[in-house]
Amino acid sequence: MRIVDATLFALQIPFVEAFAHSVRSRSSSDAIVVRLRAADGTVGYGEAVARPYVTGETVASCLEFMERTLWPAVKSADYAPWVGQEPIAWLGSLTLPTEDSADADTGVVAWNAARCGFELALVDCLLKSAGVSLGELLPPRRSVIYSGVITASSIEGAVKHAKRFKQFALPHIKVKITGEADRERLAAIRAAVGPEVSLRVDGNGAYSVEGAIATCQALADFQIDSAEQMIPRGNPQELATVQAASTIPQMADESLITLADAEALIAAGACQGFNLRLSKCGGLGPTLAIADLAQSAGIQVQVGCQVGETAILSAAGRHLAAYLPEISFCEGSYGSLLLREDLSRRPIHFGHQGLAKPLKGAGLGVEIQDSLLEKYAQQIITLPSKAA
Amino acid sequence: MIALSTRSLIETQYADQVRAFERSPWFQRLEQGQASPQEYDAFIFNLCQTHLKSPQILSFLYAVAPPEAAPQIKHNLLEELGLDEAAICHPDLLYVLATAAGFDRERQTRLAEAAQAQIRQLCTDPLLFGTMQELGLSVLLEVTCFEWMLSRLASRIGKALAAHRGLPSESLIWFDHHSEVDIRHAEEGLDSVEQYLAYYEIEAEDLETILDITFRENIFIKRYFADLPALAGATHENR
Repeated sequence: MRIVDATLFALQIPFVEAFAHSVRSRSSSDAIVVRLRAADGTVGYGEAVARPYVTGETVASCLEFMERTLWPAVKSADYAPWVGQEPIAWLGSLTLPTEDSADADTGVVAWNAARCGFELALVDCLLKSAGVSLGELLPPRRSVIYSGVITASSIEGAVKHAKRFKQFALPHIKVKITGEADRERLAAIRAAVGPEVSLRVDGNGAYSVEGAIATCQALADFQIDSAEQMIPRGNPQELATVQAASTIPQMADESLITLADAEALIAAGACQGFNLRLSKCGGLGPTLAIADLAQSAGIQVQVGCQVGETAILSAAGRHLAAYLPEISFCEGSYGSLLLREDLSRRPIHFGHQGLAKPLKGAGLGVEIQDSLLEKYAQQIITLPSKAA
Repeated sequence: MIALSTRSLIETQYADQVRAFERSPWFQRLEQGQASPQEYDAFIFNLCQTHLKSPQILSFLYAVAPPEAAPQIKHNLLEELGLDEAAICHPDLLYVLATAAGFDRERQTRLAEAAQAQIRQLCTDPLLFGTMQELGLSVLLEVTCFEWMLSRLASRIGKALAAHRGLPSESLIWFDHHSEVDIRHAEEGLDSVEQYLAYYEIEAEDLETILDITFRENIFIKRYFADLPALAGATHENR
């Protein structure tokens, strides 16, 4: 099956309310949607969320890499349609070029968001063409329970969010922390939600090794189930130092972008959990490989998300979370709870208690509205298969 | 009777919502004649779409209303449908408005379909609330907040459409009607909320959270201006 054209939509969808963490605050989604059309007319959608402070990709560089490197590879390939092959191997066959990774000039760790955008679009397109749901390749083991995430706003604002999540009976909450009034913030949130709700924290790399250890000690009273990326991405041994000194399980996020990162973290005994995010890790194939490695090493996995992701990444994340043998927590599927409008015709967001059923439709299982892509596009790049 | 502070809390939320709407760049452009004809038409489409489904929403509220509030909500429903003594069907007034704005049959069909699609979405969206009483309260708060706003701004909106979109006065009866009717409805709406809270024994803390959830974005901007492009200064006008 050949892919005959591609369109890239750099979006800006306003948020219902701003979202902040220790690195930055944002009030709109800057997702990139990749739309591919196959020779038989089938259309598939993928999504990339470029984060300079994660993979080093920006929206501009991501678009440029897609156009310069990924599209030439995709348009020249003849993809094997899905006819019941071994699922992981088939997903692996969609692997996209990795050239320019770890380029010292660009500061890019890996072009994983760009690769994810194209990989998901290929998966969606090829499976839709075969009339097959991704859920047939990755059979769901369970409904998914999503966490609420509390942005790094004022303590008063954090408590408001906590009360909303309590009203919705979400059993798990992640709290963004910044190093300012962390103890007061967690005390107020714990008081608002009660003792039964699982709380975890995410530092987005805002702390030094010593600061991370001290903060984890200070927060231990509040029954914190994991501390995510307290220190910046760097030598895994530093994270291992934090883990060794803390009773709170450490979770790697920005430190975990590639399979090589996963191997290094495991070798160093750096943490007890991995946060798997499709756009960060390069799509379904690479993420499944990291999950497999984590399982072998006894590392817990959380399925994370990108703030501002649309229904496309959320759908792929839902399939992943429902399929993996065991996950500690899951994030995402906020859809129109965060975005002014999401792209799918039917809502993707979870319901009461954070519950969401596996998706069953062909491909990723969401029906994308092209009119909304055009409405929110800041830039549209059309990539034909033949030079004009 | 709920405490005065609770009623004040609700009124404060309504007032904040109306103030943010009134000060939003979209409303300012409409009222000051700066909007394009397409923006006026998009606003008219969205307003009609929002209020065409009022009978269904009121029917839902009637179904969940406590006995004390049910007669009032039933009266509002019959009034909406033109089945009261005034016999003015409000959805018909919206179609009069749409016709005056030049919406042809095809566009009016799209309007009806869009309103129905919103009802469908309400029914298919995963429910975040755990009980019908919480959902019912959230809907009641939004409906009564709309009445509160219309009692204060409907007449100004009608005048803006007459002055800047050139609509004749006979096509703007919906606004005249709501500027009068909703002054009464706004006060009665607060009574209904009060009766609802008492009947379902909803605690003040839960009311505060449901208010926060219901009004976390500006409901008027969301309903009336969703299709319009972002405008400078709009970001901080969301609530």
